Amino acid sequence: MTFSLRHIDIRFGDLLVLHDLSMEVEEHKLTCILGPSGAGKTTLLNLISGSLQPQIGQIEGFEGKSISYLFQETRLLRWKTAEDNIDFVLKDHLSKTQRVEAINRYIEMVGLNEFRRYYPDQLSGGMKQRVAIARAFAFPSDILLMDEPFKGLDLQLKTSLMQAFINVWLTDKRSVFFVTHDLDEALLLGEEIFVLTPSPGKVKGVLINSIPHKDRDLNSPQLRSIKDRLYQLVTT
Amino acid sequence: MRNSTIKNSLLTTASVLALLLVWKLLALYWNQELIMPSPETTLVKMWQVIQTDNFWPAVGYTLGRGLLGFFISCVVGLVAGFAAGFSPPVLWLLQPWVTVVRTIPVMSVIILAIIWFKTDIVPIFVTFLMIFPIIYSNVLSGIKNIDQQLLEMARMYRVKPRRIMTELYLPAILPYLLAGASNAMGITWKVIIAAEILSQPRFAIGTNLMIAKIDLETARVFAWTAVAIFISFVLEYALTALENRFKKWGQSQ
Repeated sequence: MTFSLRHIDIRFGDLLVLHDLSMEVEEHKLTCILGPSGAGKTTLLNLISGSLQPQIGQIEGFEGKSISYLFQETRLLRWKTAEDNIDFVLKDHLSKTQRVEAINRYIEMVGLNEFRRYYPDQLSGGMKQRVAIARAFAFPSDILLMDEPFKGLDLQLKTSLMQAFINVWLTDKRSVFFVTHDLDEALLLGEEIFVLTPSPGKVKGVLINSIPHKDRDLNSPQLRSIKDRLYQLVTT
Repeated sequence: MRNSTIKNSLLTTASVLALLLVWKLLALYWNQELIMPSPETTLVKMWQVIQTDNFWPAVGYTLGRGLLGFFISCVVGLVAGFAAGFSPPVLWLLQPWVTVVRTIPVMSVIILAIIWFKTDIVPIFVTFLMIFPIIYSNVLSGIKNIDQQLLEMARMYRVKPRRIMTELYLPAILPYLLAGASNAMGITWKVIIAAEILSQPRFAIGTNLMIAKIDLETARVFAWTAVAIFISFVLEYALTALENRFKKWGQSQ
């Protein structure tokens, strides 16, 4: 199964947001879309989710797919506990036993078992984002869309959240489309990195990173050499 | 308890004592129980009033009418607020009605209600007309200020509209509803007693106030007033406590 976008144009009024954008991605891959602000990254996610139709071009492979999301904000309901927040999105799609199983499994995976009955106000920012990660995976989806979920976090928190995310993803490989403007995030998470040009967004180049996730270290020579190539691609 | 809390409650106590002192001084100044009964006389009179057969039925009926009027207003305000919040045509249809009701003088409503209804219904009807617009507009602004990001999240995860209503909208507007309700609670007792004074139901605090006035027993007027203040204070306090508890629900994470 392949997901493909071919020669996409998106225009809002006079503004050309995406121009002649093409990309092809295999299933179960962690795809990074790296671009500066204004490159239409969020627009691209809206195309994938089907909430936006392209004016020109074709999209294939996304029809009828179930999608879950990880936003920049945690978007949890204050009046529900961690587990009930996850249950909130599962209820209309899974049976009672499936829900319990999914909640147990993913709450455990993000390391929040002791905190499952806590309300968001009682959790730290990092814990809340972990609940959001658990919610995204517990939801029965084929595709996971991530819109800069680690933006604006301090380095330590960012690293531990990315680690938590990778650990879950390695056991449950959804097709991920991860949008970011941060080179390091793209290097640590992406298997394929699509670099976009600034407005209008267009694929400038693709970089494959085949180092296994558990061996990725920003200080290792292998990742450094990929980083140099990525840096060149972004800056030229 | 934090230091500032202790300081605040000391200030409140001092303020209550000052109020009693001013009252006492005024009573001494006029030295006429008919114009200004002293705090002690009022207290004694209140004790006598409480022991009359009429006391508990009067308090009970006034309380019942107030709560009934308040409850009806909350339910109708909630339903109308939701309807107007989701449907612009409903909003524009309701707007003139709410504006008229909001600006109508309380006394006109009472007089008309006396012409139209049985005496027992009058206070409830008047309360409804006074309270409903407050609840309605608070619910409406709660819906207008709903956190769009939460809503987007629920829609993207394909949560059913009915559950978005009950599990997202309803809790999110709760702080607005409670703010309106605790504000409305104070007004309820003022309105209900005014309506009772004019409509004279058989059992009512308002009726007793009126009788005390006709009897020229100012101390009894004070005593019944104190009872009304007490009821209003307790219920408003309870609602404010609830309001503080749920204050943050509407805010985004």
